[in-house]
Amino acid sequence: MAKIVLRRVTKSFGSKVAVDDLDLEVEDGEFVIVVGPSGCGKTTTLRMIAGFEAPTMGTLHIGGTLMNYVPPKDRNLAMVFQNYALFPHMSVARNLSYGLRIRHTPRKEVDAQVHEIAEMLGILALLDNRPAQLSGGERQRVALGRALLRKPQAFLLDEPLSNLDAALRAQMRFELKRIHAQFPVTTVYVTHDQVEAMTMADRIVLMNHGKLQQVARPETLYAEPENVFVAGFIGSPKINLIAGQVDHPDGASALRCLATTIPVTPEIADCLRSAQGEGVTIGIRPEDILPCSPLDVSPGQPVISGRVEVIEPLGAETHVAVRVGDEIVTCRTPPRSGLEVGSTINLSFDIAQASIFDASSGLRLR
Amino acid sequence: MTALVEPPDSDDIVIAEPRLRSLIHHVVTTAWLLPSVALLIGLFLIPVGYAIYLGFTNLELLGQYAQNFSFTGLANLQRMIHDPTFWYSVKLTLVFVIGSGIIAQTVLGLGLALLAQRVSVVVHSSVGAIVILAWVLPEITVAFVWYSFSQAGGTLGHIFGTPKSDLLSTVPMLVVCMANAWRGTAFSMLLLSAGLRNVPGEVDEAAQLEGAGYWRRLFTVTLPIIRPTLMINLLLITLGTISDFTLIFAMTQGGPGNQTAILPVYMYIEAFQFNQLGYGTAIALTLVLIGAILSIAYIRQLRPELQDTTP
Amino acid sequence: MSADQAVVALPEITEPVVVRKPRSAARPVINVLMLIIGLIFLLPLLWLILASFNPHAGDSLSLPHPFSILNYHLALHAGAGAAIENSLYLAGVSTVIATAVSTMAGFMLARRRIRFKGAFLVLILFLTGIPVTLLLIPTYQIFASLSWLNSRFYTSIVLASMSVPFSIWLLKNFIGQVPREFEEAAAIEGAGEVSILFRIVIPLIIPGILVAAILTFINSWGAFLIPLVLDANPADTPGAVGIYQFMSANGQVQFGQLAAYSVLFSVPVIVLYLISSRWLSGGFSFAGGVKG
Repeated sequence: MAKIVLRRVTKSFGSKVAVDDLDLEVEDGEFVIVVGPSGCGKTTTLRMIAGFEAPTMGTLHIGGTLMNYVPPKDRNLAMVFQNYALFPHMSVARNLSYGLRIRHTPRKEVDAQVHEIAEMLGILALLDNRPAQLSGGERQRVALGRALLRKPQAFLLDEPLSNLDAALRAQMRFELKRIHAQFPVTTVYVTHDQVEAMTMADRIVLMNHGKLQQVARPETLYAEPENVFVAGFIGSPKINLIAGQVDHPDGASALRCLATTIPVTPEIADCLRSAQGEGVTIGIRPEDILPCSPLDVSPGQPVISGRVEVIEPLGAETHVAVRVGDEIVTCRTPPRSGLEVGSTINLSFDIAQASIFDASSGLRLR
Repeated sequence: MTALVEPPDSDDIVIAEPRLRSLIHHVVTTAWLLPSVALLIGLFLIPVGYAIYLGFTNLELLGQYAQNFSFTGLANLQRMIHDPTFWYSVKLTLVFVIGSGIIAQTVLGLGLALLAQRVSVVVHSSVGAIVILAWVLPEITVAFVWYSFSQAGGTLGHIFGTPKSDLLSTVPMLVVCMANAWRGTAFSMLLLSAGLRNVPGEVDEAAQLEGAGYWRRLFTVTLPIIRPTLMINLLLITLGTISDFTLIFAMTQGGPGNQTAILPVYMYIEAFQFNQLGYGTAIALTLVLIGAILSIAYIRQLRPELQDTTP
Repeated sequence: MSADQAVVALPEITEPVVVRKPRSAARPVINVLMLIIGLIFLLPLLWLILASFNPHAGDSLSLPHPFSILNYHLALHAGAGAAIENSLYLAGVSTVIATAVSTMAGFMLARRRIRFKGAFLVLILFLTGIPVTLLLIPTYQIFASLSWLNSRFYTSIVLASMSVPFSIWLLKNFIGQVPREFEEAAAIEGAGEVSILFRIVIPLIIPGILVAAILTFINSWGAFLIPLVLDANPADTPGAVGIYQFMSANGQVQFGQLAAYSVLFSVPVIVLYLISSRWLSGGFSFAGGVKG
């Protein structure tokens, strides 16, 4: 088990910069998930930790040792690949025991450990089969077993669930967490799926275009995104991002958006002071903007009026897309809200729950 | 002839009057197939069948038995069994196939294919081009070049430190094997390169993480994965080398003495220099038999792989 | 705060560290190793070319001194020209016959339903493994009785038939991969079947036909044993047999002339190979014509 530290790591391939000045510390035993859209540099980062690529600049330390050019076989890491990378010509048992056999572990001990892991992962019956004879889920367990058996100082997983169907994926998410609870090994997990990230991570590392966007616990990432990208990437349905202007009528401050003006408290106004050019982007989660009747609204809370364009009933809740002027606002409503397409609806939200970003830099103001 | 051709189904484009169309269809199809069928029957099947007969006769090139030859049962077979030159020839053939084909070409080809994965593009393409050029040359050219190469005073002698000796006389099999290896390595190199490309990169990386160094990965992961390709390579090399005539005949005519008389050369000598056409055919039949046995052995080796694809 | 503490408290502004890559001995060694192998392979070829330009060529590797094309003149004089012309005939005729026959068969096998097609294809595959050595004597016998010996033409037919099984296999696979959609689209547009054949199918098949033709040509060009046995007419001697006869002629081996002869004989094949390899590795894609 070890701490993984990346200091100012940059990786470029020719003129293309895949990872740009990344600083990251993964604590011993922590389950960290690196997410981001394709091409954001997450896989490259993982491969640098594994040793298949070396950083162009910056340092990589694992367990306190500088590892930039240490070959993968000497790093004592284990990796689960997206396509499992099982040895096709070996049986499951021999796949699992490959690492142990290389270290000349005595036969009895090898058999015992293989048996134990296979039992834990529910693949005991498959030990003599070849990978070609296994299903996707079974292969994945074998890959996991092979990684676990070596008791590495860290686990690396590269989109391990993306080749599984939805039901299996949900089940494996649960299993992975359970395994991590049982073997709390430092884990770095790469995925493009933010649901996996939100449900499994101790901390999430969000990257975009090679740059680190934010590192935080899932709840923090959700409630306090550092920039517009983070706000938009995390959370489904996607957060509402509304253009706004900061106004200073009569000394007090207010936000103008969606054709209404919202007075803001002095503390909020303070944060907005640094907004350049006075343009802001307001981020409101769909569950924070709700239909209301104008009469029920507390003073100071804006009421917006719009036309219902799309209704998506999901069973447990309904997503409603409402057109307000030029913008479309999505809100989550309880299932039986009796709304109809084309009807006019009034929405309200509490500005205190919103995240406000500088319109030009995208950075969080509040 | 219409029995040969089945009626067109809806896949084919049917345009004009059905019955006439169908007839024309049959005729055309048959007509187009006929020339190749005729060639294959006339110049392959019939000669093969005839060979099987001739191998048991006393046919000769000239003289009494050229016209009035007859079936002699197992006489040729007995002659073969008691013919020391024949057994020597079999041994030479195996040495030639195993030495220059299986060992030299495969090992060199594999080595080059593996090296090609790790060297710079310039080195890889230039050396590859040279090796392939050796393969493309007509066989007679290869024979001449290596003949000259190994003469007294030739370059090969200079390399080995024996400039005065005619290597083709002193170590004929060695020279001939080297020539064949030089000529044929490109084939193995290309085939095995393709096989290596099919090894998934991730599997090799997984092995690296498990702690396997280069050589261990090569022997426990890479080579087992390309085993089918290796087998096919061996099969094709064997079949090609076992019946090779031009290279050796042009270089040594089977000599000195009989020292390089592999079966195809021995067959030619018996048939066209000693007039023994019947006996020569018997030798050729034996050659084919050996080839068939070896092929079956290789295909057997391939079977486990073919069965593996069951889900 | 004391002075030292103040210093420690200052934030460090550092450049990102660039870690030096350890010098690995492996890479250059591997390159050199491959180059050495390449050089070894090059030696015989080098000798050949140098000797062909060296009027005083011996069998050892030496630079031509003086550099001249005398050997080429002498070789042509000694019969290389006639021999190469014979090779051209043999290879040309056999290629035309083999390719025509194989294309027709391959087309039908790829496109039409034929009884026993499976068995036929297996037979063809099997035939590719039959060595020349087996067919030689019976063919000689048959030709002798038909008085077909000592003829360039009949020898070409034998050479053609040697290439037919592989060519049929090659063309059948190639034609089979031509997407049917082209023909169907044309049919919908109202084209007649013959018209479709000539204006659509054949142009698409031409690359495959050319590859089969080139391979047959290359094979027949270097033919040695078959012409040696089936055609004893000195006027019909092809290049390979010619070189052999020159080699075993009495007296001192004329290394320089033979080298020139060999180079002349080998160049056409090398050129053909270069041409066809560009096509082969480029693959035959019907890019853009059909989705996927």
